[in-house]
Amino acid sequence: MAAIQTNQLVKTFNAGKVSAVNGISLTVEAGELFGIIGPDGAGKTTLFRLLTTLLKPDSGSATIDGLDMVKDYKQIRSRVGYMPGRFSLYPDLTVIENLSFYASVFGTTIQQKYELIKDIYCRLEPFADRKAGKLSGGMKQKLALCCALIHAPSVLFLDEPTTGVDPSSRREFWDMLAKLKTHGITILVSTAYMDEASRCNRLAMMNNGRFIGIGTPQTIVNEFDKTLLAIRGDEMYRLLNDVRNIEGIEECYTFGDVHHIRLQKDTNLKMTDIEQILVHQYHHTNVKMEPCQPTMEDCFMNASKKER
Amino acid sequence: MAALKYLLIKEVKQFKANPFLPRLAVVFPLMVMLVMPWIATMDVKDVNLSVVDQDRSSTSEKLIKQIEASHYFHLKTLNITYEEALVEVEKGKSDLIMQIPQGMERDWVNGQPVEIFIAANAVNSTKGSMGSGYLNNIISDFSTELSRQKGEVAAFPVKLSTQFLYNSHLNYRYFMVPALLIVILIALCGFLPTFNIVTEKENGTIEQINVTPVGKGEFIASKLIFYGVLGLFIFTVAFFIGKSVYHIAPYGNIGVIYAGAVLFLLFMAAIGLFISNFSITLQQAVFTMFFFMMTFMLLSGIFTPINSMVTWAQYFTYILPPRYFVNIMRSVCLKGSGFADLWFDFLMLFIFMAIMSVIAVVTYRKQQ
Repeated sequence: MAAIQTNQLVKTFNAGKVSAVNGISLTVEAGELFGIIGPDGAGKTTLFRLLTTLLKPDSGSATIDGLDMVKDYKQIRSRVGYMPGRFSLYPDLTVIENLSFYASVFGTTIQQKYELIKDIYCRLEPFADRKAGKLSGGMKQKLALCCALIHAPSVLFLDEPTTGVDPSSRREFWDMLAKLKTHGITILVSTAYMDEASRCNRLAMMNNGRFIGIGTPQTIVNEFDKTLLAIRGDEMYRLLNDVRNIEGIEECYTFGDVHHIRLQKDTNLKMTDIEQILVHQYHHTNVKMEPCQPTMEDCFMNASKKER
Repeated sequence: MAALKYLLIKEVKQFKANPFLPRLAVVFPLMVMLVMPWIATMDVKDVNLSVVDQDRSSTSEKLIKQIEASHYFHLKTLNITYEEALVEVEKGKSDLIMQIPQGMERDWVNGQPVEIFIAANAVNSTKGSMGSGYLNNIISDFSTELSRQKGEVAAFPVKLSTQFLYNSHLNYRYFMVPALLIVILIALCGFLPTFNIVTEKENGTIEQINVTPVGKGEFIASKLIFYGVLGLFIFTVAFFIGKSVYHIAPYGNIGVIYAGAVLFLLFMAAIGLFISNFSITLQQAVFTMFFFMMTFMLLSGIFTPINSMVTWAQYFTYILPPRYFVNIMRSVCLKGSGFADLWFDFLMLFIFMAIMSVIAVVTYRKQQ
């Protein structure tokens, strides 16, 4: 049985003027680590709030562990763990008070579930008596994860858990998720960082309330069917605008310290042609170009272009 | 309902962890009960009086002496002309002018009518009207006394005597202290739970609670029980301060007061919940609550008597539940009334409490 199954979920705001989630159908198998990547405003948080029964859909349906999200919302709530994007534990209670409070509302204790949170909680233990509001960002994130896990949920929803956390804590966090997977917990995680996507079993790319691509990180990269070039020159900003004017180039965007150029699928444009145009027509100097492997971000750019 | 216990424990912990609230909960009732009644008073004392004595006779001197002897007036200036005295009023140095006309003594002796002119600064209308009233009394006592000395029978041989019932010394504190007890309940049972719920909304903690099996009833009950008990406790402390310091409610039945207080705090809690349902930010909640508080304070007879309002406003007070609780508090504290006398107020308070609770619960939805 699928852990999460949605069918054409739709949620609009402002009397239908803003559609945050626009017909999402998704199946997540039990025990999967499923990622949803997309920029801010893509509708990720609304999707999470629907799946955690905080919002009712305008249309469509969804089941969590086979339970209907509207009819059985009460049962769903005791089976899922939710970690919202914003820190939302009690800042005026201590670490241990927060944790034991959430344990008690689920009718359990920290001792009973200690095995599950042990690896994460051991880092927090030195701060057990510190007010939750006074913790560092990374520590807050660990505490929030502990509180979301304290009742041993079968499905865990993590809404942008790594936003605003330093790179080493981010890596650490994904290691923790990988460990949790071994306990058989299904994890749905959203992120705006494309580089994190490769840590998921499968992922969906989301933009404007829709999924624009779904698959394993490998299949998504493999499905990239165009030529991708990395370019650099002396005047990077002028270069960006000039490349965009060249016929046969689908898109050019900054990528780290280079620009990525994606050629149109059916174009005859060659790398040497582009260099010719840039050097002779636009008088660029030191133009260097090389083919490159698409990353998740390139795939996302490609997919969202298709969507438009 | 097991979660309710843990929610309550959480409320207690949060309250104790707050560096400010527990102290305020002690200071607030003490301040309200021990300081306010001495300051917020409508008793008029120390009225500054300017006298324009154009008669300068022994009679006028006697009258002035008599006025000075009363503790209501400070004789500020003795002026020659009315205009001079008026300047004193304009400067704010005096509140009342009394002008004794030339030839007062002579007219009096001849049995002619005498006119004494009083002008009052009505910027502070209470001081003006009360002050001139006191002055009137002194002058009429004086003239009666004078007539008697002349061996005349007073022109109007009826002696008026007034007895003030329930508050025999017209002590304004008897009027104020029950009102201040109501203010304490409004502040503690209306404001605190409302702000607490809206803060949970602002912090997003309510959302974290909403994905747990905790029901909406339990969540709200935890707020109501905690702040209700806290409110009643502080009300009790304040009530006993009122009883021991100001000797209110010498005959009243405390049970009647508590029955009213419980109904009223449930009403305040319901209105607070209602406001929190529609407030997204604390700012919004504070402002809305303040609007209700001002309405309650000024239109329910808490500080100013309902009888002195314009007629339409008097009808309006019937839809303000604090009006009934104010009446219950004053009647019990000053007259020793019981349930039998106050059944109408209790009934109305109950009806409003029930209506407001239903509205609050219906508008509180867990699922949007």
